[in-house]
Amino acid sequence: MVKKLYKLSAFLLAAMFFLLHISTGPGTVHANNGSDSYNYSFWGESVPAPAAFQATKLVNGASLGIDALREPNDLYVTSDNFIYVMDTGNNRVVIIDEEFHLVDTIDSFLHDGNNDTFSNPRGLFVTDDKHVLIADTGNHRVVHLDQDFNLVKIVDEPQSDLLRDDFVFQPVKVVVDKANRIYVLASGVFDGFMEFDIEGDFTTFIGANRVQVDPIEYFWRRVATREQRSQMRMFIPTEFSNLDINDQGFIYASSTDGADDSIKKLNARGTDILRREGYFSPVGDIRYDYDLGPSRLIDIAVTDSEIYSVLDSRRGRIFTYDGDGHLMYMFGGLGNQLGKFNTPIAIDWFGEDFLVLDRALGEITVFRSTDYGRTLTEAVRSYYRGDEEKANYLFEQTINMNANLDFAYSGIGKALLRQGDYYGAMHHFEQSYDRNNYSKAFLLYRNEVLRQHFSTIMTGIMLIAVGYLSFKIYRKVTRRRRGFSIE
Amino acid sequence: MNKEMIKYPFYLIVHPFNGFWDLKYEHNKRISLIISFVILFLLVVTNVLSSQYSGFLVNLYNPENMNSLMEALYVVVPVLFWCVANWSLTTLMDGEGKFDEIFTSTCFALLPLVLINFPWIWLSNLISIQEAMFYYFFTSFAVLWFVFLLFVGNMTVHQYTPSKSVGTILLTIVAMGFMAFLCLLFFSLVQQMVAFFSVIYQEIVNRY
Repeated sequence: MVKKLYKLSAFLLAAMFFLLHISTGPGTVHANNGSDSYNYSFWGESVPAPAAFQATKLVNGASLGIDALREPNDLYVTSDNFIYVMDTGNNRVVIIDEEFHLVDTIDSFLHDGNNDTFSNPRGLFVTDDKHVLIADTGNHRVVHLDQDFNLVKIVDEPQSDLLRDDFVFQPVKVVVDKANRIYVLASGVFDGFMEFDIEGDFTTFIGANRVQVDPIEYFWRRVATREQRSQMRMFIPTEFSNLDINDQGFIYASSTDGADDSIKKLNARGTDILRREGYFSPVGDIRYDYDLGPSRLIDIAVTDSEIYSVLDSRRGRIFTYDGDGHLMYMFGGLGNQLGKFNTPIAIDWFGEDFLVLDRALGEITVFRSTDYGRTLTEAVRSYYRGDEEKANYLFEQTINMNANLDFAYSGIGKALLRQGDYYGAMHHFEQSYDRNNYSKAFLLYRNEVLRQHFSTIMTGIMLIAVGYLSFKIYRKVTRRRRGFSIE
Repeated sequence: MNKEMIKYPFYLIVHPFNGFWDLKYEHNKRISLIISFVILFLLVVTNVLSSQYSGFLVNLYNPENMNSLMEALYVVVPVLFWCVANWSLTTLMDGEGKFDEIFTSTCFALLPLVLINFPWIWLSNLISIQEAMFYYFFTSFAVLWFVFLLFVGNMTVHQYTPSKSVGTILLTIVAMGFMAFLCLLFFSLVQQMVAFFSVIYQEIVNRY
């Protein structure tokens, strides 16, 4: 008896372990390879994720053989992986090559025969033919130099009816599109970005943020007198914090207000066309400590295939989203270790890898993408290109490394749908909570099933109808025989 | 007799005025109570099953938050609150209903929710997202039917005019809010008292 009980309990224990293994196995074994990275599930919970990037190297003034970078503010990586750093405190631009050796510095240029210098420059941009544009904030101008650092033009004090008389031009960030129009983010401007034509003449503002009105504040404003109102805070739209441009000429802009549209993708008319089809709007952290507040996005870096990353200066985290707005991965953080920052100020993609510029420390942290990061990025890229088969394969690999990545199942589902495996597609769409695509797959699956069993179903219906009729007739006949009817 | 028992609720939901009248004046109380509890139980079962088995397109559920006992509470507690609040109000407002009459009429009114929602648990697995509007149409229809029955039941049980029963129903909802508030207050007080005594006990145990 006792032995029997013992056996039973051993069996139960084994069964329990087995069940536990099933329920937690894939999630915990693959999800966390010693990283503090995470992703958000469909339910808004943060779930552990493998690291997508690993910090490998620090680059600073000493390692380049020049004096230390002082309060650098901006970073630009060209397509052939030359790094341009805006070394604000030293009023110079530092150019670094792929191997992190110094190439050159720009601290002055010839202007009307005189040597001209920068004053507190805070932003820079490098065009495809290596022209350098510098937002020379202290001198109220944007300086355009060619590839040999000779002056091409200077954009200064814009003249227009759109501007107030006391307007002071303080360019902070600058980008140039394929048609050589210059877009400037100037401080103290609430109407969006300033657009300059190829000659450097101001044309218009584009992409102003909407005013956010607090209903309670609006109510008080309505009941206040004119004098009180003049004392109150004005409703003004938030300023942008940074901008970047992708190879199709769309401007990606970030702002720091933590609103749902704090990242924008602006088309030529200044309309926001960012797709927000992820589980949450791309705003950085969704769950956060309310004392510290939401993510403060101060830089945005866009790469190919509509993948973009934003930098949250409040927690030092970098979030990367795909074109649909799904959070792909996050990394970084504040701290003293390698891979953590003190005051991160600028980010940019460096091929497959990533660079983060720290202002107070004056150094660049180089992040190399891990196997996981590369696979996921490549999967998103393949999907963007329309190469569904490869995307399917890569998404499956990604899921093998991180079963918690909900949106990856959707990628597999789409590939299966195209291959005609409707039931499998349904399953994967259910995993990623993708209702619209699930419905599509389901309709196809239902048709398939109905077509397969058409003869059975029709026969069944006919049999039921015939059976019902004959039963009625039988009842009628027997009742009549017994000698009474219902009427 | 047994056949009557099964047939009667179905008669009531399509002929509410006659049905509730019979329920109050003609019917056996014991049998009505049994039927009421059966309907309440069926509604609990429907709710539990629908939160687990409804189609993916109309029901997103997080398996970690699924709790059948809570689902049962979500049905039973509002019904009890409703009955208590309604009884408390109507005794002050010349209502002729007794508590058991209020309870049975409320439970009988819940029947459409079972009748319509139960088949839709399974049907919702066979529809696409475009067809989901039928699901929403039928579930809202069930709710409207239930509200209508509740209204007629309340009117008949208390022998009110229509306008007075609308007023009572609105007041009942307010009273339910008060009751929920008082319950929360009571539980948090009890919890604090328990915590206080347990802390004292721990202090004493740790000291001696």
